[in-house]
Amino acid sequence: MNKEGMNSYSDTVNELLARYGVRFGIYKNGTFKEQLFPLDIIPRKIGQKEVEYLEKGLKQRVMALNEFIKDIYGEKKIIRNNVIPEEFVYMGSGYLAQCEGVCPAKEIYTHISGIDLVQAKDGQWFVLEDNLRIPSGASYPMIARDICRKSSPAIFEKNAIYENRNYAKMLRKAMDHVNVGGHTVILTPGRYNAAYFEHSYLAEHTGAHLVTGNELVVENDHLYFVDYSGRKEKVGAVYRRISDEYLDPMNFNSESVIGIPHIYDIYRKGNVSLMNAPGNGVADDKGIYYFVPEMISYYLDEEPILHNAPTYLPFYEKDMKYVIENFDDLVLKDVAEAGGYGVVFGQGMTKDEKERFISMLKKEPRRFIAQEVIDFRDIDIFEDGEKVPRKADLRAFVLMAEEPMVWKSGLTRFSRNPDSFIVNSSQGGGFKDTWVLENDLSPTIL
Amino acid sequence: MLRLDYQYNMQLSFAKPVNRHHFTLRCFPADNERQKITYQDINITPSYVGGEETDSFGNHCIYGLIEGEHTDFNVNVSGKAYVYGDVFLPVEPSHRIGMFRYHTGLTDMGPSLYEIYEKLPYKDDIRNDVQKVALQWMNIIYDSIKYVQGITQINTSAEEAAALSMGVCQDYAHIFLALLRHEHIPCRYVVGMMMGEGASHAWIEVSDGEKWIALDPTNNCPVDDRYINISHGRDAKDCTINQGFFYGLPEQLQEIHVVVEESSND
Ligand SMILES: Nc1ncnc2c1ncn2[C@@H]1O[C@H](COP(=O)(O)OP(=O)(O)OP(=O)(O)O)[C@@H](O)[C@H]1O
Ligand SMILES: [Mg+2]
Repeated sequence: MNKEGMNSYSDTVNELLARYGVRFGIYKNGTFKEQLFPLDIIPRKIGQKEVEYLEKGLKQRVMALNEFIKDIYGEKKIIRNNVIPEEFVYMGSGYLAQCEGVCPAKEIYTHISGIDLVQAKDGQWFVLEDNLRIPSGASYPMIARDICRKSSPAIFEKNAIYENRNYAKMLRKAMDHVNVGGHTVILTPGRYNAAYFEHSYLAEHTGAHLVTGNELVVENDHLYFVDYSGRKEKVGAVYRRISDEYLDPMNFNSESVIGIPHIYDIYRKGNVSLMNAPGNGVADDKGIYYFVPEMISYYLDEEPILHNAPTYLPFYEKDMKYVIENFDDLVLKDVAEAGGYGVVFGQGMTKDEKERFISMLKKEPRRFIAQEVIDFRDIDIFEDGEKVPRKADLRAFVLMAEEPMVWKSGLTRFSRNPDSFIVNSSQGGGFKDTWVLENDLSPTIL
Repeated sequence: MLRLDYQYNMQLSFAKPVNRHHFTLRCFPADNERQKITYQDINITPSYVGGEETDSFGNHCIYGLIEGEHTDFNVNVSGKAYVYGDVFLPVEPSHRIGMFRYHTGLTDMGPSLYEIYEKLPYKDDIRNDVQKVALQWMNIIYDSIKYVQGITQINTSAEEAAALSMGVCQDYAHIFLALLRHEHIPCRYVVGMMMGEGASHAWIEVSDGEKWIALDPTNNCPVDDRYINISHGRDAKDCTINQGFFYGLPEQLQEIHVVVEESSND
């Protein structure tokens, strides 16, 4: 495609995305703002061999994470065997004492996982983070693919790419697998949630009802969906897009008005499935991330296929020393933050800021992790009529049914700023479709 | 051993009617190694639909929904218990003990707590003889805090109460927990009833790894056969006696009246 062609293609698809309501919302200075999530028309391409490798590694990782959560709310062998220090579990924000001894249907805690990866310049992949609570973003490449296909069918005729609309089928399979009898619903906090577009899109494509908390009631130890005429229909699985603390005012945050009173009590009894399982955030804490490779060996007795970015825990004296000595080369992350907010690069700090950070680190060593800065690959984006390289990561989605399933696509996020490593959408980045190629031939267009 | 009769009455009145009232009650003594409930009668009004469960700490709960409009919610529990004063509860299952070593929001350390902490004796010994050292610590806490009602609230933290040097049983217990947890000693909050007439009571249990040693910092004494356990958790929040959620925002008044006395007849 020539420059003019690309320009008009880009305008067309972004206009369509805007018309479909593909936005995401953020809270800024206390007010809710929605902004468009711009699509860059040049897709990320992943070859067949590469995807096979990623698939194996991702499945392994999610299996181990699921085992870990089961163990933590059960027998805690990994703590008793001194593989993970208990403070990392009990002091993490994701650990919920209310989940002790509770086992979800089919022992699945991680129905939908979003694993964030980057690819270094030499081709090696690193996992940056495991998002297990409510990973969002799958709908963006789905709708982008759909719109691009309609706008320029020729591109797709010339390239053999794995279909990505099957995400809805995979999700449905994961839902049906744990449904204990009744309807499946997607529970949204409502229209003002950052991911509302996604909630409605996934509901439409899986055939699940999109509901808010006040359309669900617990009665006689079962969950019911109350339709507009007042009729009650039993619900067997809830894909909830509400965080644990707001899920049930009787068991978690008592001030929540978007939750469903007593839903947790009947979940505990096995009368409804909640996806993802409450309490599973214990495994996506940035502090726990450090231990994932050890979990893989511990629970699966396998070598980890995918690597973590080299990470240091200032909690360990040896690591603290290393972090202070190599401060400029590291990226520091607050374990309690998300959305790119608690991520800072040592190099960008003034002397003053550094000193303040290090004293904070010494005061609360458990609160931070440090990582080597991965010089990850740039991918071209199309900006102002030019192709320019920008940092991009990949959120891969793994869904759990009988077996873990890896979606042959994913959300590629990139930074708008040529000097920035931060790709988070809440920091102003955009996204790309992710093409998994059916063979290793390089694609002909774009 | 004592044989006790108990009555627990909770009366919640709303200034205006409420409806769709969800509740979870945690006010039912149950059998354990130190108490045997030989009889218990539970009466909850108005009528409700709901169920029973055991929460993650092992506490017995009744939950439900009162659909229609009402201005009163009453819970009456009465029963008879054998209580064995010299028996401690076992730490069971042992892998659940870890969570009790860590602060919760209500027990986080702060400057006023550190002031008390500085006064505590035998810190090096606490791991060897928890029971002995905790008794000493209890003395100090008892002397540092004045029992005053109406100053602190249910969500007052240990640090806030320590700063006031005042509080009620819940505050004494939270302060004790905060100081023990600062030394990494597993300990938990206990709600129960004590011989006499008044409100429900709270105290703490501290573990030596095998058993839970029960101490009452409000009265500066070990817990004996005059105390009936109702529930336990990491702090008062885990032991909320009545958790409610309803439509309507009227003023509400909760009164709890507890009577525990030695059984006179068979
Ligand atoms: N070790 C690293 N080297 C280079 N860049 C990094 C590194 N760690 C993080 N980044 C950049 O910062 C971004 C945010 O990092 P991370 O995912 O750990 O934070 P987060 O706050 O959890 O964000 P989110 O929850 O939205 O994924 C990454 O997507 C990446 O662009
Ligand atoms: Mg991330």
